[in-house]
Amino acid sequence: MNSVYSGPGFDFANTARNSFLESRGLPLPKATSTGTTIVGCLFKDGIVLGADTRATTGPIVADKNCEKIHFIADNIRCCGAGTAADTEFSTALIASNIEMHALSTGRKPRVVTAMTMLKQMLFRYQGNIGAALVLGGVDADGPHLFTIHPHGSTDKLPYVTMGSGSLAAMAVFESGWKQNMTREEALDLVTAAVSAGIFNDLGSGSNVDACVITASHTEMLRNFVKPNERVQKERSYKFARGTTAWKKEDIRDLIITEDITVIREGEAMDIS
Amino acid sequence: MSIMEYNGGSVIAMVGKNCVAIASDLRLGVQSLGIASNFQKIFPVTDRIFVGLPGLATDVTTLHEQFRYRVNMYTIKEEREIEPETFAALVSSTLYERRFGPYFIEPVIAGMQRTPSGSYKPFIAATDLIGCLNFAKDFVVAGTASDKLFGVAEGLWEEDLGPEDLFETISQTMLNAVDRDTNSGWGVVVHLLTKDKVITRTLKGRMD
Amino acid sequence: MASAGGGAYSYSLTVFSPSGKLVQIEHALAAVSQGTTSLGIKASNGIVIATEKKSSSILMDDSMIEKVAVVCPNIGLVYSGMGPDFRLLVTKARKSAQAYWKIHGEYPPTKVLTQEIATIMQEATQSGGVRPYGVSLLVAGWDITRGPSLYQVDPSGSFWAWKASAIGKNMVNAKTFLEKRYNDDISLEDAIHTALLTLKEGFEGQMTEKTIEIGIITVPSLEELEAGKVEGTGRYKPTFRKLSEEEIRDYLAL
Repeated sequence: MNSVYSGPGFDFANTARNSFLESRGLPLPKATSTGTTIVGCLFKDGIVLGADTRATTGPIVADKNCEKIHFIADNIRCCGAGTAADTEFSTALIASNIEMHALSTGRKPRVVTAMTMLKQMLFRYQGNIGAALVLGGVDADGPHLFTIHPHGSTDKLPYVTMGSGSLAAMAVFESGWKQNMTREEALDLVTAAVSAGIFNDLGSGSNVDACVITASHTEMLRNFVKPNERVQKERSYKFARGTTAWKKEDIRDLIITEDITVIREGEAMDIS
Repeated sequence: MSIMEYNGGSVIAMVGKNCVAIASDLRLGVQSLGIASNFQKIFPVTDRIFVGLPGLATDVTTLHEQFRYRVNMYTIKEEREIEPETFAALVSSTLYERRFGPYFIEPVIAGMQRTPSGSYKPFIAATDLIGCLNFAKDFVVAGTASDKLFGVAEGLWEEDLGPEDLFETISQTMLNAVDRDTNSGWGVVVHLLTKDKVITRTLKGRMD
Repeated sequence: MASAGGGAYSYSLTVFSPSGKLVQIEHALAAVSQGTTSLGIKASNGIVIATEKKSSSILMDDSMIEKVAVVCPNIGLVYSGMGPDFRLLVTKARKSAQAYWKIHGEYPPTKVLTQEIATIMQEATQSGGVRPYGVSLLVAGWDITRGPSLYQVDPSGSFWAWKASAIGKNMVNAKTFLEKRYNDDISLEDAIHTALLTLKEGFEGQMTEKTIEIGIITVPSLEELEAGKVEGTGRYKPTFRKLSEEEIRDYLAL
C-alpha cells in the first residue's frame, strides 16, 4: 500500500495553479451534487430512512438512479445530500472508522458515535466538505435519528428532512406524522415525503429508496417505489449496419492461439 | 468559459449485450482555435479496460501517467490484473485525494468485468472531477459535448445491442453530438470490447 | 558485557554477529517458542486457526483475553509469543486493511495483507532504538484470486504459505502430528477436529471452550459469489469469523 497510498488527508498541490487559472477568468467547474430529498422518521420499533435517486450537475440530470442511503454499520445508515463526492467519501470514512471501533471494542456500534465522528470531521473542515446528512439507526440505547449540517451542527428529532426537497418533504411530515406509528404507516409517510420532493423539487427525482432499521434487522428497500419508470419506446432506433463510415480498423484478438508446425523429424546434430 | 472547456473534447461509453463501447473525439484546441486532430483521450488500462479522460489537456497527460503508475504497482504487488470495478474505485479515490485542488478531468471507464464463474460482463462508470462515481446501466458521458451526448444517447440507446449494433449506436451518438459542439469534433475514435476481442475504429467525421 | 547468549552482539540488533546472525531475532524466536501453541490447517473448503488460551491463575477473568483476532471480514489472525506485541500488530493490520479498502473499494487479498504485516515486522529488525516483535503469526484469509490461504509470519519478517502449520511451545510435536494427519482433501469439519486433537497433544490442564479459541474461514459457494454484494451494504458476506463458546463446546463434545 505504501507504494500507492500517499498518506491520509488531502493533497493541495494543485490549488496554486487552479486559483491562478481562476484569476485569469476561467471559473472552477461544478461537481456533481445530489439536489436531493432525504428524510428520516421514527416509528414504534425503529427508524425509516428515505431518499430520492437523482444526481445533478447544474441543470443536467447526471445519474437517474444513484444510491443516497449509505452503509455505516449493519444497524446504522446515513442519507447524504449536497456535494455527491463529499457525502460518498465522508460516509465511507466514518463507516471504516466505525468498523475498526467495533472490532476494538467488541461491541455493536452506537448511532451517537457515528454522529460525533461525522460532526467533528465536518466541523474541522469548516463547511468546505459539503455534506448534509440524515443519520439513523438502532443501538443498545434504542432508535436514534439525527441531521448533520455541513458545518458540523446536529439535531436530534423524531422526523427530519434535508436537501433541496426538504421543504416539500417536511410539509408532508408536519401534517402526517404521529407518535408510535407502525412500520407500514411510517414507510407510507416516508414514501409520501420523498415523493413530494421528487414531484415538486427540480433537484430531486426518479425513484424512492427506503431503509427500515429495527433492533433485530435492517431492511434496505432499494427502488421501493418507481413512479417515473421510462416506458418501452414505441419503436426501435437501431441503425442499419454500415451506417457509420470508418477510415481505419484495428482488431485485436485477446485469445492467443499457437500452432506448432513440425518441419522435419529431428536428425541428430552433426558434431563431428 | 470554464477550465473544463479550455481544450475541448468529449467521451461516451455504452453498455451492450456481452460488450461495451467507448468513444471520444480527437480534437485538441485552445478555446476556439483548433490545434490538433489526433489528440488521444482514451487509453488502454488492461486488455479489457479503457479509460477516457476528457478535460484540461495538461491533466489528461498527468492523470494518464498517474493511473498507469498506480495500475502497474497494483499488478506487480498483487500479481493479478486489475478489474474494472477496482480500477473505478482507484480512479475515484485518486481524484478525491485532490478534493480541494482538483484535476480538471471527468474520467469515463469502460471494461469487461470477470465474473466468479469465469465469464465476462460489461462494466461502465464515470466520475465527476472530484471522484464521485456514477455506475450507470446504460451509458455515461463527459466533456464539453456532454449535454448533447446525454440527449442523443437517451434517444438512441436501447437494451441488449450486439457489438455491431452498439458500434452504430455509439458512433452515431458521438458524431451527431459533437457536430453541435464547437469545442469537440475533428474526428472520432471508437473502441469496442467483447469477451475475446478489442475492435478500434477511426470514424469519418466533419473537420470544421 | 552482555555475555548471556550472543555476547557483544546481543544488544545492537542491527549488527550481524561474525557468524552471520542477528541474535536479537533469534531471541525473539525464543520468546515465540515459549508462547502458547497455535496452529492452522487449510481444508478443501476452508481454514481453521486455533490456539490455547492459558491464564496463569484461576483468579484471572479469561473472558477478556482475545488471541484470535478479526482483521477484516475476509482475514483473521492468531499468534504465539508476546500478547502486547500481537495487540499492536492487530491494530496496524486493521488500519492497513481499512486504508486498502478506502482506495480499492474492497478488502485486501490475504497475501497483500500478510506482506504488509511482514513489512512492519521486518522494519523492526533494521531500525534503530527498537526491538523485533516477539510473535509469530498465522494469517488465514480468503480472496477471489487465490481462494483460501494460510500464511505464517515470523519476527524476522519472513513469511510462507502453509497447508498446515503450528507455532509456539509445542510446535515441533504439533507439526509432526499434523504431518501424519493431513491430507489434501480434508474437509473444514475434519480440520477443526484435527486442530482440536493437535492442541490436545500438548495441552496442560482441561481443554474447554474457555481455554481455547478458534477462528474459521468458510469458502463461499459459486452461487454466493455470483449473487455478489449484500443488498444495500456495498459489502460481501464475511468469510472469516470466530467460533462462539457454544460452538467450540459442541466440537469438544464430539
